[in-house]
Amino acid sequence: MHIPDGFIDGKTAAVTAVISAAGVGFALRQVRRELPPRRVPLLGLAAAFLFAAQMVNFPVAGGTSGHLVGGTLVAALLGPSAAVVVVTTVLIVQCFLFQDGGVLALGANVFNMAILNSVIGYVIYRVVCHWLTGIRGRVTAIAFASWCATVLAAICCAGQLAWSGTIPWSVAFPAMATVHMFIGVGEGLISALVFLAVYRARPDLITEMAQTGQPQRLGELVRYGLLVTLGVAVFVAPFACSWPDGLDSVADKFGFSHKMSPLLPAPAPNYLVPGIHWAVGATAVAGAAGSLIVFVLALLMGRWLVPKQTKADI
Amino acid sequence: MSASWLGHQHSQSDSPVHRLPAALKLGVALVIIVATVLAPIQWRAWFIGVALLLVLTAGLSRLPLFFLFRRLLVLSPFVLGVVLVNAFQPAGRDRWLAVAVKSVLCLLTVILVSNTTPFSQILRVLKSIRVPALLITTLALMHRYLFVLMDESERMRRARASRTFTRGRRFHWNTLATVVGQLFIRASERAERIYDAMCARGWK
Amino acid sequence: MNAIEVNDLKYRYHDGTEALRGVSFCIAPGECVALLGPNGSGKSTLLLHLNGILPEKLSGDGTVKILGEPVTPENLETIRRQVGLVFQDPDDQLFCPTVQEDVAFGPQQLGLGDVEIAVRVQKALAQVGLAGFGRRATHHLSHGEKRRVCLAGVLACEPAVLVLDEPTSDLDPRGRREFKALLRQIPATKLIATHDLELVVELCSRAIVLDGGSVVADGPMLELLNDEKLMLEHGLERPHILRHQHPH
Repeated sequence: MHIPDGFIDGKTAAVTAVISAAGVGFALRQVRRELPPRRVPLLGLAAAFLFAAQMVNFPVAGGTSGHLVGGTLVAALLGPSAAVVVVTTVLIVQCFLFQDGGVLALGANVFNMAILNSVIGYVIYRVVCHWLTGIRGRVTAIAFASWCATVLAAICCAGQLAWSGTIPWSVAFPAMATVHMFIGVGEGLISALVFLAVYRARPDLITEMAQTGQPQRLGELVRYGLLVTLGVAVFVAPFACSWPDGLDSVADKFGFSHKMSPLLPAPAPNYLVPGIHWAVGATAVAGAAGSLIVFVLALLMGRWLVPKQTKADI
Repeated sequence: MSASWLGHQHSQSDSPVHRLPAALKLGVALVIIVATVLAPIQWRAWFIGVALLLVLTAGLSRLPLFFLFRRLLVLSPFVLGVVLVNAFQPAGRDRWLAVAVKSVLCLLTVILVSNTTPFSQILRVLKSIRVPALLITTLALMHRYLFVLMDESERMRRARASRTFTRGRRFHWNTLATVVGQLFIRASERAERIYDAMCARGWK
Repeated sequence: MNAIEVNDLKYRYHDGTEALRGVSFCIAPGECVALLGPNGSGKSTLLLHLNGILPEKLSGDGTVKILGEPVTPENLETIRRQVGLVFQDPDDQLFCPTVQEDVAFGPQQLGLGDVEIAVRVQKALAQVGLAGFGRRATHHLSHGEKRRVCLAGVLACEPAVLVLDEPTSDLDPRGRREFKALLRQIPATKLIATHDLELVVELCSRAIVLDGGSVVADGPMLELLNDEKLMLEHGLERPHILRHQHPH
């Protein structure tokens, strides 16, 4: 999901950079305020941990392999603000040192993987935890939240590619969403198993973090929510809704599309492959069905992995 | 060592490019990348100019050619994907050509800068342009302990493998999760010890 | 006045493990004392108390005095100036990207000026035989070099008391020999927790044996190390060099 340079255009890079800078700035301020000094080195170490964990590949259907993104896992372990900082750090190092993801695309990558993935994953995790208490509920919650966050981040990535005119939405969305519905299963499974492994070995670690890292007020989540909604509204909504060609029609209305035309080619001019249009609708239906199936699977996994007697509230 | 295994050992060597100030290299690289991404594909002269400049820099930097080539290959699946998708479209050729040229030039720029500049110097530049201190600390600590943790995870993996007697091709999710979970625990324990060490030298 | 004075020190970890059960001893200025004892005897826990890292809330049982000053939250800064602590794992202690930055970390926390910091870094690196290593990345150093940079980082703060946790573990024989020579040149009061009995014989005049969180023996080094029964009882052994020097 790391977008290289050259795959997104100037306007997408600029918009994502602004949203991401706001999100990371807010997360840094929040972390500085809430994290006890003892925990400050943990941010760097958690980033190193996530990098090492991302090197481990797991098999996905069809002989391909995926690797952990980990935003939701880190958010569940350390809280959402710390997760935004940790994943951003990983992305910066991957971009500068290992050329994984572009420099100008950093804003887009940070938005998809650090902000959207961690925040959405965390919100879903908390909502499910509210319903299903105990460690069993947590395992279910983290598996389901990781899946949802992975798929949503991939959809957002497809939106950015489409908005840049690199790959048309009618191809990018089905391709990215379908592939990540499978990768997401691996992500959810690994995240839940890792969470459980940490819980079994050092339950105190998770309880302690739960007390210090989690947001005390709803305001924090609301602000992240606004940022994420803004991003999704810009990158995904124009394509997902029935508005004719999203922003281009806006550009047409204001009459500046011809001035910008050398900079941004129109997203999907008269696509030639027949029958591809229904792929978007089919993917959306599959996504909805998939999330139900994954939730049931996560529920069953929680039951299967955690014996009844350890259902202690943490 | 895992540092060389990750292919990041060249930033410590020496050449005229290595000796340039880090801020200059980062600034020029940023300008090249931004301009290359924004430039319309019709601006042939710009792309050719950038390509020549990069080739010249690569020559001066004494980085092994094969290493650069291997790093550039990372892009090939992305470019292929875009080529495939756009092959069916009327205006497709221009688009995939633009994506391919731009992404290769930008990637080569980043490869050259990151392999001729030690990370500590990059951090110093970031500090001088007022990137928040907490982010700098986190970046520095991550980079410092990256290799320590990778070694640790490799040792754990080997220790596991040495006691795994079945040769099945089955993937062991639980084993993997235990190793990753252990890694998180070790990372957080090490974070505590680092905090102690920082305090011991008067950190406030 | 004693350099270190520990009085009836008790400490219990969060999980209930009793690490220290009433430890008392004094160390005079300029002394070099070995802290011996099996794994898990509380050596590292004790050392962390000497510059106020433990107990977390500084309200534990017993007192620790450094150069006559009790360790309290108010004078933590003064205490940490006087006590240099070298940790067991050099990777924990070297958290900065380059050698220079790491050695400068302590002096920077002391609030010294840039010129003074540069002078101290140069001096400390020269002292451990690593002059010219300043720009090296910490994670590219060998294990022996890491140990010496750790020592330089502490020496740059010019402490009066030096506390070392297993300074020679994981070093090859040459690294060990060099590190011992280095320690001998440092005039500060030294307390060294170690399993390296050769080091004890060569450097220390006195030894304290800790087991199960309490002091089981405290006396002249040769006397303790030659006491075969005491040594075996507490997971130690009489070092071979002593067998050749003092045939009984």
